[in-house]
Amino acid sequence: MTQIHPQRLLKIAQFELVRLFMTKRGLLAVAAFTICWLLVLRYPIGQAVSIISSPEMAELAKQVFGAIGLSKLLDWPEAELAMYWLIALYSFPCFCLFICSDQIVGDKQRGTLRFLTLRATRNEILLGRFLGQVLILAALMAVTLIATLAVMVFRDASLLMHGLSRSFIMLCYLIVAVMPFIALMALLNTFARSARLALVLAILFFSLGNIVIGILAWQIPALSVLDYIFPGVQLDQMAGQNSSLFSSLGIPLLQSAILLLVAQRIFVRSSL
Amino acid sequence: MSTLIQAQSLTKRYGSKLALDDVSFEVKKGAPVALVGPNGAGKTTLFSILCGYILPTHGQLTVLGHKPGSSELFGKLSALPQDAQLDPRFSIAHQLAFYGQLQGLSNKQSQIEALRVLDLVGLGEVAKQRSDDLSHGMRKRVTIAQALIGKPEIVMLDEATAGLDPIHAREVRELVATLSNEATFILSSHDLTELERLCGQVLHLNKGKLTEHQADSTDQQTQNFMTILLADNYSNVEQTIQSLNGVSRVYMSQAKEYVIEYQKSDNLFDIELLNFCHQQGWRYRQLVNGHTLENQIFTQEKV
Repeated sequence: MTQIHPQRLLKIAQFELVRLFMTKRGLLAVAAFTICWLLVLRYPIGQAVSIISSPEMAELAKQVFGAIGLSKLLDWPEAELAMYWLIALYSFPCFCLFICSDQIVGDKQRGTLRFLTLRATRNEILLGRFLGQVLILAALMAVTLIATLAVMVFRDASLLMHGLSRSFIMLCYLIVAVMPFIALMALLNTFARSARLALVLAILFFSLGNIVIGILAWQIPALSVLDYIFPGVQLDQMAGQNSSLFSSLGIPLLQSAILLLVAQRIFVRSSL
Repeated sequence: MSTLIQAQSLTKRYGSKLALDDVSFEVKKGAPVALVGPNGAGKTTLFSILCGYILPTHGQLTVLGHKPGSSELFGKLSALPQDAQLDPRFSIAHQLAFYGQLQGLSNKQSQIEALRVLDLVGLGEVAKQRSDDLSHGMRKRVTIAQALIGKPEIVMLDEATAGLDPIHAREVRELVATLSNEATFILSSHDLTELERLCGQVLHLNKGKLTEHQADSTDQQTQNFMTILLADNYSNVEQTIQSLNGVSRVYMSQAKEYVIEYQKSDNLFDIELLNFCHQQGWRYRQLVNGHTLENQIFTQEKV
């Protein structure tokens, strides 16, 4: 039950990609995602460039962005990427809670997991599904990033080369940033009775959890360290490019590892 | 014959409910094995433990020398779990091919294998459809097909023919009989006649306790018994048969069916009995050497 065979792991991850891009339901989700992002590309990203470029608005933006710690972003010549970074950094974690809400729970309820566990270990199923979701998110991020680059190059083609390298780094940071959110959904999938319940539990975890820890930290300030149990705790710092490498990559990777470990302990003991 | 499954003192508790109570048995390679018992007797629990879906509370179990659920059993042990369904979002062939790939087949081999097993259950033409588009019986046959992917050594079918029409149920029985040279089947069913026809060893679970029977009734206990099923309700059958030489006891086990206990002698009792029926003008449907499996189990469950 504890072994992991790389080939089976990859097959399971690969099957998740098929689930999104080759099933009706998956394609509908991709269509909805595409429409949303076309609007984002047309308005916030497109118009933000003119806002940031005009001297009067730039001053205002500087004051606003500076106040919330985003002034470094204004120095980017690739203004479209700056806007993309802000939108993607907050929207993808929320989006991934929805699309990753059914990693194993649906198969468990239907009994399909019983066919799978005769051919793959539970660790392979859990980790394979997690990797599959990471690949899906990475693919969607890459597509939106390419579209943003296209918008940027349409405005100023000379920004392409520098924009490409910046985009690659952004993509890596974004992938790592969504990992703990996917791992959280994997954990909730091990005991929730439906994908919908897993999503509700995730929302409760973030909303009620934040309130409870806020109250605890107010009483005992040292308990504010408990904020680190929440995926995305580093996002505010990352948004302004003020975050250290450990904070940007180390915290989400550590959170993902811990969440997956807890999920694994529950999943290997659960009845199918 | 090599031992495939060895269970010692298996116990499973769900809270205060004892689903399996100190169950020990051994399954050897060969003829299909039946797992029978009333509803709630613990059959599905035992199946689930054998497949590694749930852990026993106590006891030891090895399947082909390994712990249930271990990766060494992938491709060697397959099962049709009760009520399990394929994912309705993918075509049947796509899912079966995926299972084949997990068992180590190449992409191309797995596609060929998916079609082969679908053909075995007579569903080659629905390969491109999704499971939601199929009837209940067809879905059941598809899930039987998934259990036949590759070359499994043990195939466990939980209620494989439940919900199938008589023709398809018979096809599944024939399939099991044909493939039983290649794999050892473990079948759970409420159709005892079906199991009697297919199986040698019978594991009988009742209230979590296990007893074993032989479906072919060749053991010492059943050597002095005959069970005859008559075609009609005739009068005074018990008293009339009792007058036959060597008969020590006759009783009606159920409508038109009589169990005859006789003393062994040099004469062939079955021939004498059939001649006697002919003389009385009784038509018979079936003559069973010993007790039927149904009677063996019914008697035990009534005790």
